[in-house]
Amino acid sequence: MGWDGIKLRHTQSPAGFALLGALGLLFAVAPVQAAGDRALGEYLASECTSCHQLSGRSSGGIPAIVGWPEEQFVAVLNSYARKERDSQTMQAIAARLSRDDVTALATYFASLTSKP
Amino acid sequence: MKLTRRNVTAGSVALLAASSIGAPAVLGQAKARVVVVGGGPGGATAAKYLARDSNGAIAVTLVEENETYQTCFHSNLYIGGFKTYDEIVHRYDALASAYGIALARSRAMQVDRDRKEVVLADGRRLPYDRLVLSPGIDLKYDSVPGWSKEAEEVMPHGWKPGRQTQLIRERLDAVPDGGTIVMIAPPNPYRCPPGPYERASMFAHVLMATGRSKARIVILDPKESFSKQGVFMPDWEKRYGAMIEWLGPKVHDGIKSVDPKTETVVTGFETYENCAFVNVIPAQMAGAIARDAGLAPAGGYCAIDPATMKSVADANIVVLGDACNAGDMPKSAFSANNQAKVAAMILRGELVGAPTFPARYLNTCWSLVDTDDAIKVGGRYEPKDGRIAAVETFISQPGESTEIRRQTQAENIAWYDAICADMFT
Ligand SMILES: Cc1cc2nc3c(=O)[nH]c(=O)nc-3n(C[C@H](O)[C@H](O)[C@H](O)COP(=O)(O)OP(=O)(O)OC[C@H]3O[C@@H](n4cnc5c(N)ncnc54)[C@H](O)[C@@H]3O)c2cc1C
Repeated sequence: MGWDGIKLRHTQSPAGFALLGALGLLFAVAPVQAAGDRALGEYLASECTSCHQLSGRSSGGIPAIVGWPEEQFVAVLNSYARKERDSQTMQAIAARLSRDDVTALATYFASLTSKP
Repeated sequence: MKLTRRNVTAGSVALLAASSIGAPAVLGQAKARVVVVGGGPGGATAAKYLARDSNGAIAVTLVEENETYQTCFHSNLYIGGFKTYDEIVHRYDALASAYGIALARSRAMQVDRDRKEVVLADGRRLPYDRLVLSPGIDLKYDSVPGWSKEAEEVMPHGWKPGRQTQLIRERLDAVPDGGTIVMIAPPNPYRCPPGPYERASMFAHVLMATGRSKARIVILDPKESFSKQGVFMPDWEKRYGAMIEWLGPKVHDGIKSVDPKTETVVTGFETYENCAFVNVIPAQMAGAIARDAGLAPAGGYCAIDPATMKSVADANIVVLGDACNAGDMPKSAFSANNQAKVAAMILRGELVGAPTFPARYLNTCWSLVDTDDAIKVGGRYEPKDGRIAAVETFISQPGESTEIRRQTQAENIAWYDAICADMFT
């Protein structure tokens, strides 16, 4: 569910499948991150919740992002920052996040559970 | 008050900071008091984030004169038949029940900045340590000669929610085939830069869909150019042929007067008589409560410190959303909601010693052009040289694939649900 609406460029394969492949690759090169700063994550997350519901609900056009494994969260944001993943909005947001910011966000959203 | 893990964590951080290094601004007082005037994207969001993240350490009162909040955002989708009116009406109940916010259903009449009190129409005086003002805009009824407060029933603006929005829809439904709609667009800076052009798109969509293809829409604009013009105009031509005609000031040579009795608009170039209806979107300014408090120049918007959203005239007052001058950020619900989070973070820092971070801002405005065909414009912003400055911007391109446009509209729908959940639940 959380993967709806996320598309990799230059791929014909189904989005979910392509994503898993890409993530596998990223896990191989990026070591698992340490837990991020909670207060920073909470503040930064407030920017996300204008579009991504904190409850984990999703109306389709924008994916739910709560409860993701932290490594996946980091990998997806990093691929937006590198403009490998489409979405002008997410590319602009990811471009300004530091490594600590991304970790803090990943930790924060991973700690939430979906309340559909 | 819901006790979630987040609340407890945030609360204990605040407590720890307050009892040691934090040096809260209101030492010795039982509870810091924040009064928020205006329950729109700026005010409702600020109230919620202040109350939720301070875990009861800040007493938050939200002053709002209306019982429900009817969104201007997506009111064009209502006009275009893509949403029912009920879908753009929201209630404040959860802000009280889930976060312990005190709701004051009254109009704020005056800010007593010396005594730090807000005076309500029902006579109450609400003392504050910090005040958040997010009253939105007021219309300049004298900005279009011949138009007035009384005339808004005949020549509606639809730029404030409720009856005005419904009037626009009723008038659109009554346009005969071959009739002319004249829209007078507002000068900068105004609420929702792409809004008039999204509305014209919705007019055309409804007219086409109901077999009134000979009707036309004339936009008389005081501006030389408008938001997303390079995408709107080719799309209009593709979707609606010649139905929408946009005329800039060099062509129409100024809007000289309107006459509500005869549905006439006179420009320097042409007179439009017997219009099917005239949609006057006038010039705008900060809401009265912020102007009367002396926070805005005459007929203008409130200057703010871009790092904190505080009024440059009064460090105890934050001004959010449409009522402030947010530099490069447009006046949008997205912007107001985003600014509110910066302000809530800053105020929690001051009042309960919560950690603070450098301000950063974001906006995206989606506009629906036709069924499953939306475009967007947006950017990220940071404080720079005393103003909120754009750091990076993005915009839809003309000629994008139908798939991209469909996806952009899906985002638009999901954004609306998310921002309303963020404000009211
Ligand atoms: C047609 C149209 C389409 C739009 N589309 C979009 C869009 O797609 N996306 C987007 O992001 N934005 C959109 N907007 C813009 C958006 O509606 C505004 O930018 C947003 O509402 C601003 O929020 P605010 O909190 O500043 O003010 P408001 O939303 O105006 O809220 C102010 C509140 O304060 C209350 N109030 C004012 N004065 C007092 C007082 N003295 N006492 C008590 N209560 C008071 C009012 O009743 C109101 O509820 C659109 C606007 C229009 C007109």
